[in-house]
Amino acid sequence: MIRLFSVREKQKKDAAAAANGKTVKQSAGELRLQKDISELDLPKNVSIRFPNGNDKIMNFEITLKPDEGLYKGGAFLFTFAVPTGYPHDPPKVKCVTKVYHPNIDLEGNICLNILREDWKPVLSISAIVYGLTYLFLSPNADDPLNKEAAAMMQQSPAQFERVVSQSVARGCSIGGEFFPAARGDRSG
Amino acid sequence: MTFEVRIKKWHAVASWTWNAGDDVCGICRMPFDGCPPDGKYPGDDSPVVWGICTHAFHLQCINRWLQSQTEQKCPFCRRQWEFKQAVVGGEDESEDGAGT
Ligand SMILES: [Zn+2]
Ligand SMILES: [Zn+2]
Repeated sequence: MIRLFSVREKQKKDAAAAANGKTVKQSAGELRLQKDISELDLPKNVSIRFPNGNDKIMNFEITLKPDEGLYKGGAFLFTFAVPTGYPHDPPKVKCVTKVYHPNIDLEGNICLNILREDWKPVLSISAIVYGLTYLFLSPNADDPLNKEAAAMMQQSPAQFERVVSQSVARGCSIGGEFFPAARGDRSG
Repeated sequence: MTFEVRIKKWHAVASWTWNAGDDVCGICRMPFDGCPPDGKYPGDDSPVVWGICTHAFHLQCINRWLQSQTEQKCPFCRRQWEFKQAVVGGEDESEDGAGT
């Protein structure tokens, strides 16, 4: 899913980065993030966008289009806010496309271990993208943020599957809450 | 709040990439013979340190991480972090200026 860059490729990039390294004064967190982004090798179902311009990298958006699993066919927009303490502090990630998912609540908060207690400064934006991809491939009902979704997933998996694919493709109401079709925009 | 992600498996691949003769600090991703983003000069100002697990970081980088944690663990392998003498570390590269 994620092709890790080769060492040689990376060394070339490092050399290039070092060559034009003395441009604008950047914070340590920004420098590290810049490396993450230059090394980012996104699969074709994931895209990145810098809404504030390419020089304002601390806030960006990732769109994920799951190519397998229950959420296939949908497009989900995530906002990343990278703190100046990065990589010691993890980025704050939200799913702003409203989604019926046991590990994502209606405000777009995401329950993913590496965004919280299991974050380590050797992780990177790639690791988070991988984690998000995995989350949409394998929702986990054991530790839910959306308890109703988790309960349905456990008790009537067939119904859960039906409801998810319908909400993703066309939009539908689930338990009185409307989930618009997942087109990768802000609906949460 | 734990979500089971197969990140361990991925992590093994990632650490292999970063350690395969790559003289870059895993935290700041700056070369070991350069300096971390908060250091002014390479060399004495930015020593490279090893843990007993053989993972290496800039002193500033690992210190900052350890200070933010209640448990002192290596950010790569999660083993207990204990400083190891740089000269007997697992890396065979000499770090320019770090030991002078
Ligand atoms: Zn460092
Ligand atoms: Zn280690």
